[in-house]
Amino acid sequence: MTERVAFRQGFPVSGGDYLHAGQASVKIKNLLRELGLKDDVVLRAAIVSYEAEMNIIMYASQGRLELAVAPHRILIVGEDSGPGIEDIELAMREGYSTATPEMRELGFGAGMGLPNIKKNADDFRIQSEPGRGTRLEMTIRTNGRDA
Amino acid sequence: MKPEIYHSVRVNGQRCIGCVHCLTNCPTKAIRVRGGRARIINELCIDCGECIRFCPQDAIDSRTTSFLDLNVFQYKVAIPATVLYGQFDNATLPSEILFALRRIGFDYAYELSTINELNNAAIEKYLNNHPKPRPFISSTCPVVVRLIQRVFPSLCELIVPIEPPREIAAKILRANLPRVLKISPEGIGIIHITPCPAKMVSINRPASMEKSYLNGAISIRDIYKPILQALRQSREEAIMSHLFPETIFSGIGMGTALSGGETRGLKYHRTVSVSGVRDTIRVLNQVELGLLKDVDLLECTVCPDGCVGGPLAVENRFLTKSRILRLVNSMGERAVVDNSDMNLLYSEDFLSFRHPVAPVGAPLLDADPGHAIQKAERRNELFKRLPRKDCGACGAPDCWSLADDVVRGTAVLSDCPFVKKEGE
Repeated sequence: MTERVAFRQGFPVSGGDYLHAGQASVKIKNLLRELGLKDDVVLRAAIVSYEAEMNIIMYASQGRLELAVAPHRILIVGEDSGPGIEDIELAMREGYSTATPEMRELGFGAGMGLPNIKKNADDFRIQSEPGRGTRLEMTIRTNGRDA
Repeated sequence: MKPEIYHSVRVNGQRCIGCVHCLTNCPTKAIRVRGGRARIINELCIDCGECIRFCPQDAIDSRTTSFLDLNVFQYKVAIPATVLYGQFDNATLPSEILFALRRIGFDYAYELSTINELNNAAIEKYLNNHPKPRPFISSTCPVVVRLIQRVFPSLCELIVPIEPPREIAAKILRANLPRVLKISPEGIGIIHITPCPAKMVSINRPASMEKSYLNGAISIRDIYKPILQALRQSREEAIMSHLFPETIFSGIGMGTALSGGETRGLKYHRTVSVSGVRDTIRVLNQVELGLLKDVDLLECTVCPDGCVGGPLAVENRFLTKSRILRLVNSMGERAVVDNSDMNLLYSEDFLSFRHPVAPVGAPLLDADPGHAIQKAERRNELFKRLPRKDCGACGAPDCWSLADDVVRGTAVLSDCPFVKKEGE
């Protein structure tokens, strides 16, 4: 993000905390709405936040979402100290999942999370080191898709 | 009946003592205590009536139509919500209640369970004709519609554009009564009897139509005693009305007042029923995050257990529920709506909205995006200085709302009795 960041807020996310799943994303969604951003932008930001949040809850022990809003773009970073992703290219494929039967029982782990982020973000970067953790960087332009 | 009414919920300044019960229980944080009295913020209130429920002073009530207002009509029709059938003891049957309504001054009482069935069949047809998007959301609870318009604007397009039963009933009456009775349309007053404060608003300021087909709404609270008296005074006549019923009831439409009642008739669709305002907000948040796409119809009612939990009912919702369930069980799956009639009305667009439900933007932090960002930052800083006791002493429902009010210019930080004064 090259612009001067005007607003920044972090949201801690605890691994395994299905009870509060989605809370951070809902806060992000409500905040972006109050800032007067277009609904399509707000929803795409909320969806990518939610996917990142769920990844932390499902796979990591501890992590956080970091929201940064500048006049022309929103940056959402999901960072965790989890197991990391062995093969990023494979993980990006629709339907590929390393979810445990337990996660699937809860209705998660369909292998659509990362592809869904890619679909909704204007820019998506992923860094991961097996055994250390994962960092997802998602950018959404505030003037919408067409700009 | 006056167009300037935006809200039905209002505070009685004589009774309000400025405590924090309504403040902290308002799901949209639409109340502030100022000058020792609760004030409702018009832009935020959705008329759910939670404040009515929680006020220990009985200082909040709902503006509904008074009996005197009815005198302007030559012919008066009551359309009671089926919740009314559960307000009296088990021995009092729906036909007797309809009789009692005529006894207390209505020329006619129109039975709603059949229209509930008709509405149900129309929703089923709509779902069949529209495989996408999902999930659709039922429009029956007017508070849910208002909540979606203000807090979940992206979900407006998911609201099923089929009129709620009360409006369909009134529309049918409007279309037929003037002709049958040879009375001018203005001479006919159609009044809904309801446990719901939001119905008054949906009649005066409908979200989905330019004008409601109803003329007003009387709360069950206000009409309970006259009905009870009429039932007592004319016990025998009431029993006759039960033995020789003039009205047919629908088994399918009888349970609509209970959460899940609306989806009960939909045998071939995947449905979810939610009740209670907080749970409704939780589920709508999930829908907005793109979940629940495998659900065909989402029925949300903001009152606990459905309309039986309406704040303007008299009987507690558990007894009401038990009595209505008894009616549902005794009537079973009895259907009274002819499918070809429904198809005809559906194809003529008689059952649907003319105007789509449009979002009503919540107040922004600032019209200028740059300033809005600055205010959001300042709000976070202010919030850090507050004690997070959420005590309500400042007049805002919680510390976050005080910080929000300060950046919006409607409060000052020193309203908080715990915060240290600048420079101290």
